[in-house]
Amino acid sequence: MSERNAEVTVTIAPHLAAYAERLVAAGTAPTISAVINDALEAQRRRDLEARRLWKEAAEHADPDAVARMRSHADAQIADLPASHRYR
Amino acid sequence: MSGEGGAVPAPLILDVSVLIAVARGDARVMELIQGYDADGQPLIIPALAITGALHDISGRDAEAMLRGLERLDNTMTAPLRDAEQAAHLAAVISRTGLSPWDAHVAAVADASVCAILTLDARKWREHSGDLDDRLYFIEISDPEETDRH
Repeated sequence: MSERNAEVTVTIAPHLAAYAERLVAAGTAPTISAVINDALEAQRRRDLEARRLWKEAAEHADPDAVARMRSHADAQIADLPASHRYR
Repeated sequence: MSGEGGAVPAPLILDVSVLIAVARGDARVMELIQGYDADGQPLIIPALAITGALHDISGRDAEAMLRGLERLDNTMTAPLRDAEQAAHLAAVISRTGLSPWDAHVAAVADASVCAILTLDARKWREHSGDLDDRLYFIEISDPEETDRH
């Protein structure tokens, strides 16, 4: 990945654009690009945290119990009318 | 995961009970969901069911768990898109007496002709005949635990 910042053109909702401009005007952020970078970075961190929590949970699951639950659910799916099973 | 003759499996609609289990970090339910996702089974999350789950259990981890669910490869959130859908939801609430979150699950399942994946079979057994077309549901349970009780 290049160290240089990528230039992209984005379209932002008017209220979010106004919010970003207010942050810059108040000196909270140096530029609108910085506001967008911070927002994306925050979302990236939230997604990583969610992935970590899911991975941890999966490690604690009893595989035999999950297999039994899956078989039980699959058997019910197999009994559904075709209209509810396939597209 | 493909069905007869390579047909795509119909989505399953996740109900509030499943989302609450995910929000609480129920490892078995999460692993079951991840298994279906890995097999290409489409899973639909009605937006109001997320509201219902977070109404029951709130907090940063709960939101993160549900965000993680949304980020799986084969999950898709079903919004309440427009006035027509909002009016249809109102009609489903009136006919079933369900909460708005459960009624959104029922409305999505009814409109998309899909079964509901649930930990609360009793609820859906009670309401399966409330709409013009029958609501089908798939109960998540461990048969060994059920036998013990």
